[in-house]
Amino acid sequence: MKLSNVVRRSAELFFVFMLNGAAWAQVERNTDSTAYERGPYTVVVSVGGGLSYYAMALGIPVELEGGRRNRVGVPATVRVMWHPDHRLRLGLESGYVPMYGYRGQVNGLPSKVTVSSVPVLLVWSMPLAWLSGTERSLARRLSLAAGTGAYFITSRLDYAGTVNGRTTSLGWMAAGSYTQPINRTLRAAVELKWYNSVATDDATFAVQLQLVWRALSW
Amino acid sequence: MKALAYLCLGLCALVFGCRKEYEVLVPYQFVSLPGAGLFSTTTRRAMEGVYAVTNGADRFGSQVALKWTYTLEGADTTFFLSIFTGQDAAFFNMEGRPDSDSLVLAGFWRKLVNTETGQARLTLQVRRNGQTRVYSGRLTPGDTLSLEGAYGDNTAQPTRPLTLLYQRPLNPAPYEILAHRAGGRTSDLLPVSENSIDMIKLASRLGATGVEIDVRYTKDGVPILYHDNKLNLRLIQKNGLIGAVEEYTYQQLSAHVRLINGEKIPTLEEALETVIANTTLRFVWLDTKYIGPMDKVQAIQQTYRQRAIQARRDLRIVIGLPSTEAVEAYRALANKENTPILCELDTAVTRSLNARIWAPRWTLGPQTAEVKAMQAENRTVFVWTLDEPQFIQQYISEGQFDGILSNYSTLVAYYHYTRQP
Repeated sequence: MKLSNVVRRSAELFFVFMLNGAAWAQVERNTDSTAYERGPYTVVVSVGGGLSYYAMALGIPVELEGGRRNRVGVPATVRVMWHPDHRLRLGLESGYVPMYGYRGQVNGLPSKVTVSSVPVLLVWSMPLAWLSGTERSLARRLSLAAGTGAYFITSRLDYAGTVNGRTTSLGWMAAGSYTQPINRTLRAAVELKWYNSVATDDATFAVQLQLVWRALSW
Repeated sequence: MKALAYLCLGLCALVFGCRKEYEVLVPYQFVSLPGAGLFSTTTRRAMEGVYAVTNGADRFGSQVALKWTYTLEGADTTFFLSIFTGQDAAFFNMEGRPDSDSLVLAGFWRKLVNTETGQARLTLQVRRNGQTRVYSGRLTPGDTLSLEGAYGDNTAQPTRPLTLLYQRPLNPAPYEILAHRAGGRTSDLLPVSENSIDMIKLASRLGATGVEIDVRYTKDGVPILYHDNKLNLRLIQKNGLIGAVEEYTYQQLSAHVRLINGEKIPTLEEALETVIANTTLRFVWLDTKYIGPMDKVQAIQQTYRQRAIQARRDLRIVIGLPSTEAVEAYRALANKENTPILCELDTAVTRSLNARIWAPRWTLGPQTAEVKAMQAENRTVFVWTLDEPQFIQQYISEGQFDGILSNYSTLVAYYHYTRQP
């Protein structure tokens, strides 16, 4: 089995684990002794960027000569999450995720192809610990996230002219993060992410630094 | 307990939800030498027919139809034997083995409804009063041709017995067996891609007498063969290019895009050249997948009709009109002479266009009255795209249509050739 498939399989397992975690969180709520004191509720905005590595096999024309491949990109993410008074959090995520590119000569002419995507995902996240431990405990600062939605894929071909191709694919994302408090409303986070676009068979692993801002609280 | 149920549900979703990738390899390497080896013209003619399956009926049904086909490469003619069965759209493709001093055929079998395949090896013999002898090229009364040998699964050597006994000649009635997407769908895991040059060359061996091909324009106006409106991994190998086919020039597609089995996307001209130069196909249905002027396709159609006439080929090349947009494009042509068309809309539109071929979709039913009325007006009636075995059998046994367009041309061939008047 290829390494990329192993990683993808692991990410899929993680994705399902997250969905199960979400279900568990709901189940645990039934025995939550704080059920009569709801809140606080917060809206948290995360903005981040980092590096990504395209983890699937590249599709490159056999005629490409002197080809150079690029699997590394600089992704950016914007996420808005609703943090309710239980473990499961819900939100939307979008951003820019470079996939891959290649360049070389085909039939004596220069050729360049780049592929990137804009995911729009419904995201669930969950801290590893909720009511247990202290604010400083590692488990409270670690969280898992999973999302599903659409990937708006764009490809640009420069070869005897330029073509910008577009398509939409269903896809998913799985992530794990560590969040470090900075002050009352700001935190910094490091997140490891796996983006997967199904129809185009694209998947990217990313490491991002994020600024997490508690925008609203009630 | 509830949590456990959620966990099980999630794991089931993972296990059963993951996409399985199917693959079917052709387990036999064809030598494809010109000619038919030791199988002379007389022998080949004698062999064609309906055979009873006395060994192997559990896998391939109780009877099969044998038909020789050939492809052309310049002055060379290469013959292949096809065996069409009525079970699971199974077929055999075989060739005379040049390394044998007897009438030996080797090849492979495949079931189109699943991924079952394997090798096969048969020897032509004659049976008489329970005795078997080598076929010498002549049959006397009381002799029965038989093909005896074995088949295997996947790449295993053939060891399971397979015996075919000649019963009667093939049904000689004229009938068009039209293969969808130049021969078959990529999703049926054939060894070559749909709408490719190689698929056109393969079509006869899949039982087709004609092909339907999907025509689109590139950005620079080159008619090409491609079914979907977008480049996608269903049809092409991964290369980073996505979006509408019409946004790319032919040069860009030719340099970067390969169909799922590695072939180039062919131009319409390359496809028609192949039909004339390399096949014995007698019908080409140009399915109009584009929206826009039809004049370029018409010009190519007329050029290759002339080429076929010069090559003394009985070949009809017709433009299919599947939509009102295509009808309007046809009506907008300045000159409609020598432009055979096929209308997929209703009988009124077909008559108004004076189309000589009417092709309703099969789900509309037999439409007996309409079909007879159109045939009485000297029009041909085909039905599309019929893949359901029971309806293929029914439509052929009722005998009212002049042909069937199908992804399973092997199955149409089986039911047509085994039909008894």
